[in-house]
Amino acid sequence: MKSGWRYNAFSYTVAIPFAIVLAFPFVWMAVTSFKPEAQVYDPTKVWSFHPTLANYGFLFHHTDYLRWIRNSCFVGLLVVLITLLVAMPAGYALARLSGRVGRSMGVGIFLTYLVPPTLLFLPLSRVIAQYLHLSDRLWALVVVYPSFTIPFAIWLLMGFFKTIPQELEDAALIDGCSRLGSLVRIVFPISIPGILTVVIFTFSLVVNEFVYAITFISSSTNRTLTVGVPTDLIRGDLFNWPGIMAAILIPSIPLALVYNAFLNRFIAGFTGGAFR
Amino acid sequence: MSDVKDEPRKEERRLSRRELLKRAGAGAAAAGAAGATAPFSFAGPMRFKNRLLKGDLSIIQWVHFVPAYDDWFDNTWVKQWGEKNDVQVNVEHINNTLLDTRAAAEVAAQSGHDLFFNLHPMASYEDQVINHAPVIKEIERKVGKYGALAKASTYNPKTKKYFAVSDNYVPDPVIWRHDLWNGIGEAPFTWDHVRKAAPKLKAIGHPIGIGQSQELDSNMALLAFMMCFGSFVQNDANRPTLNTKNTIQAVNFMTDIYKNGEDPAIFGWNPASNNNYLYAGTASLILNAISATRTPEAQNLPFSKDLWIWPIPHGPHGRLGLEHVMGCYNIWKFSQNKENAQQFLVDLCVNYKQATMASQLYNFPSFPGAFPFTQIRKAAAADKNKPNGKYTILTTIAEKYTHNIGYPGTTNAAMDEVFSKYLIPQMFAQVSQGKMSAADSVKSINSQVKEIYAKWKARGKI
Amino acid sequence: MSAVAAVGGSRRTRLRYITERRGFLATLLISPAVLFILALVGVPLVLAVYLSFTDAQAGSLSGRWVGLANFRHAVHDPIFRGALWHTFLFTAISQVVVILCAGLIAHAFIRKFRGRWALRFFILLPWAAPIALTAIGFLWFYDPQASIFNWFLVKLHIVGASHVPNWLGTPKAAMSSIITVQAWRTIPFAVVIFLAGISSIPQEVDDAAAIDGATGVRKFWYVSLPLQLPIAMVAVLFGIVFTATDMIVPFILTNGGPFNSTQVLTTYAFQTGINAGNIGEGAAVALFMLPVLALVVIGMLVFARRAEVT
Repeated sequence: MKSGWRYNAFSYTVAIPFAIVLAFPFVWMAVTSFKPEAQVYDPTKVWSFHPTLANYGFLFHHTDYLRWIRNSCFVGLLVVLITLLVAMPAGYALARLSGRVGRSMGVGIFLTYLVPPTLLFLPLSRVIAQYLHLSDRLWALVVVYPSFTIPFAIWLLMGFFKTIPQELEDAALIDGCSRLGSLVRIVFPISIPGILTVVIFTFSLVVNEFVYAITFISSSTNRTLTVGVPTDLIRGDLFNWPGIMAAILIPSIPLALVYNAFLNRFIAGFTGGAFR
Repeated sequence: MSDVKDEPRKEERRLSRRELLKRAGAGAAAAGAAGATAPFSFAGPMRFKNRLLKGDLSIIQWVHFVPAYDDWFDNTWVKQWGEKNDVQVNVEHINNTLLDTRAAAEVAAQSGHDLFFNLHPMASYEDQVINHAPVIKEIERKVGKYGALAKASTYNPKTKKYFAVSDNYVPDPVIWRHDLWNGIGEAPFTWDHVRKAAPKLKAIGHPIGIGQSQELDSNMALLAFMMCFGSFVQNDANRPTLNTKNTIQAVNFMTDIYKNGEDPAIFGWNPASNNNYLYAGTASLILNAISATRTPEAQNLPFSKDLWIWPIPHGPHGRLGLEHVMGCYNIWKFSQNKENAQQFLVDLCVNYKQATMASQLYNFPSFPGAFPFTQIRKAAAADKNKPNGKYTILTTIAEKYTHNIGYPGTTNAAMDEVFSKYLIPQMFAQVSQGKMSAADSVKSINSQVKEIYAKWKARGKI
Repeated sequence: MSAVAAVGGSRRTRLRYITERRGFLATLLISPAVLFILALVGVPLVLAVYLSFTDAQAGSLSGRWVGLANFRHAVHDPIFRGALWHTFLFTAISQVVVILCAGLIAHAFIRKFRGRWALRFFILLPWAAPIALTAIGFLWFYDPQASIFNWFLVKLHIVGASHVPNWLGTPKAAMSSIITVQAWRTIPFAVVIFLAGISSIPQEVDDAAAIDGATGVRKFWYVSLPLQLPIAMVAVLFGIVFTATDMIVPFILTNGGPFNSTQVLTTYAFQTGINAGNIGEGAAVALFMLPVLALVVIGMLVFARRAEVT
């Protein structure tokens, strides 16, 4: 067991430099976002300039920024819901009930990610437009996104369910609970940390997605964050750098805070929540 | 610029006309019951009083560099047209780099916008669009002939089909720092002058800024540069003619300019980079549309009055330039509102004077009769920015020195593919960076070009 | 409980009998997921495979059958061969960096220390931010005029002002730039997975190791590492798969780079299929990776299973 101060020293030596390196781009983003647009290229005003909130004001008042955030949240939450509903039973089944079949299906999970969306979006756009009539609706994204969030969620949940000892469920079965009942009453409550994890990862996958968002949505009011920013803050030749930096910062900080908060429970779950 | 759409419009866009009337009927009944309106006010959204709605029209186009243009288009032109024609028009704007993706998606989905705009003629989509000849004929009836430049860009002589209607094009001048060039006693009359001046300009910290990257501006600049040396990707019969002495000479010439007068940064540019190079005060010369002068004016940069606009420098073969971008609308075969789309196009092109003025002379009409050059020149002369009258040269450039991509042939799918694969910037960059000799580079790119042309010939498109 | 179970009509008991059967329940629970994936991934995949054997153009979803012509053409295409190599480089190097850094960071964060929450927040930021936007942000960081990295390099006198690296304009620098950005945004993701893996090692193992006298590096090498291998493998696998099939970073930063020197398979497929309108060829390029990646994935999973301790 590492001794107290030696371990702490190790932690700080690693954590602080990495934190600086990983987070510095965001510091510079913040600095740029407060610069007046005409000064971003001025080499004499790299760090010393008169900060302004004009860029944030521009984002909120002259673009549909808030609406894009709302759209991204809408899609994100719904996709999380669908993913949970579909992946939890599947993850449980694969962890418990299928033995060898479960293992090979586990491999299948990875294989679904091997198909790049860079061309998948073409056939999908026909499905969305012709068969589902969801062209230019956020529902199109809600329907399509689970296709790449579910496999990963299944893998995560498989891992979680495997750490829940079989004895718990057997005890419930002995008590006369049905298998389905034990699932609902015993297993799911314990796997809250797993569920939170799926929420984090799924939401992050959704928020990062770009190709489908640009393909299925065209009207400005239905855009998600990843599409709205390149479109409205980049006019042909001109990049509104301070505006773009502000647009990146605003969702990132809350998201990172939320992920950070969930992380503890996520880790607690992996260590076998039933006994801790 | 950001469209604040009324909530009802968003829903109704998806309703068929019958549904709309049904709904409107209910509303009218209610209104009638209240005794408020005349018997024929079928106005679901209560927008066009006393008239029947004749349908809708959806348009997608780029986010115009000049915000004032989008403002005029969305809030003035489209509104007026919609009211006059009883059509519900819906305009979407997306970033120009994403238009290709949307086009592919709409075709794959067989559903999308009625009018699709792109900054280059989408020759490879010829089979997916209607023949636009009737539209063009109608416009010609009203304002005179389709410009030669636009015709060469949107007409396929092999299939005799107009695969798009160009409403505007943007001339591509050189924009150069008069104060810097004056300081070394030079001016960019010819490419030779540029070559001589390049090292001197670089020495005072202001290199030339002609990109050799995989992006639009580099593509345009280098293609135009080649033409000044008599080097063409295809001939007037649309057959590839890249591997010639002139091409090798052009490549070597540009390599010379690069080595002595440019910064290695030019290999990693995006379309905004040459602009930013200029705005930072560094570049002494770039090839770009007048967006590069309008921004310094708007931002009151110190050297904005020293930015001069000239035609492309003269080369051994002549002074030949390209359009910077060409706005082209096409109507998909699967569009639900073809008549409305065609009518819209006709009205827009006929009234293009308003558009040109709204774009601050960025958009030049593809039907010159809509806004004759003499009148444009007058408007340009009235521009207040110093030096006075600097924008009048645009009409000369537009009239005399602007050609289509693929000159002396037409803009066809093969040329489009060569363009979209950035083969020309690659051809130049390989040599400038010393990776291979000009002869080898031209040869290898030429074989790729020949393959592309063979493929499209096999398809019967050229 | 058993009383409740016993009471109830014969219909209910029959239903319960069915749901008690393992296989049936398993199928029932898995089927929504399988259906979803078949519909939204399987079907388009089959269509994409079909397209790669045709000469489909310009967004059209059908074309003339040309057999293996697209694949043959790709293999002879120097840009494609380059893209293949660059994809390998891009994936391999970025993931090696990710694994090493993430492993280190995860071990540093396992136990509590003051400031852990704040430092963890900073480390999570690159992954929390939407990549499509941060990639645009990196365009700004690497901007030839105003790059803040160059500013530091010049201020620290590491390079002269006229010799600042052209991050996106020269082949080697551009390649390292996209690798850096990809590693930057993947490290937090891998850290989280590693943290999960490390904490799932039961306390008993630690105690047993301590009793046996294994401490420090020896413990790490002989005890912790083997136990963490499965989870590390999974992190690597997901990292490889996500990186090899992702287009955003190279697309936004370099769009294939100084004359195709950072062209990867995904961006080349996009350029060929969408920009140039050559859907059939684009599909062929995009699908080229599939068998290779599948082999890699299966190979690594088999290896992981053999190495599994539990």
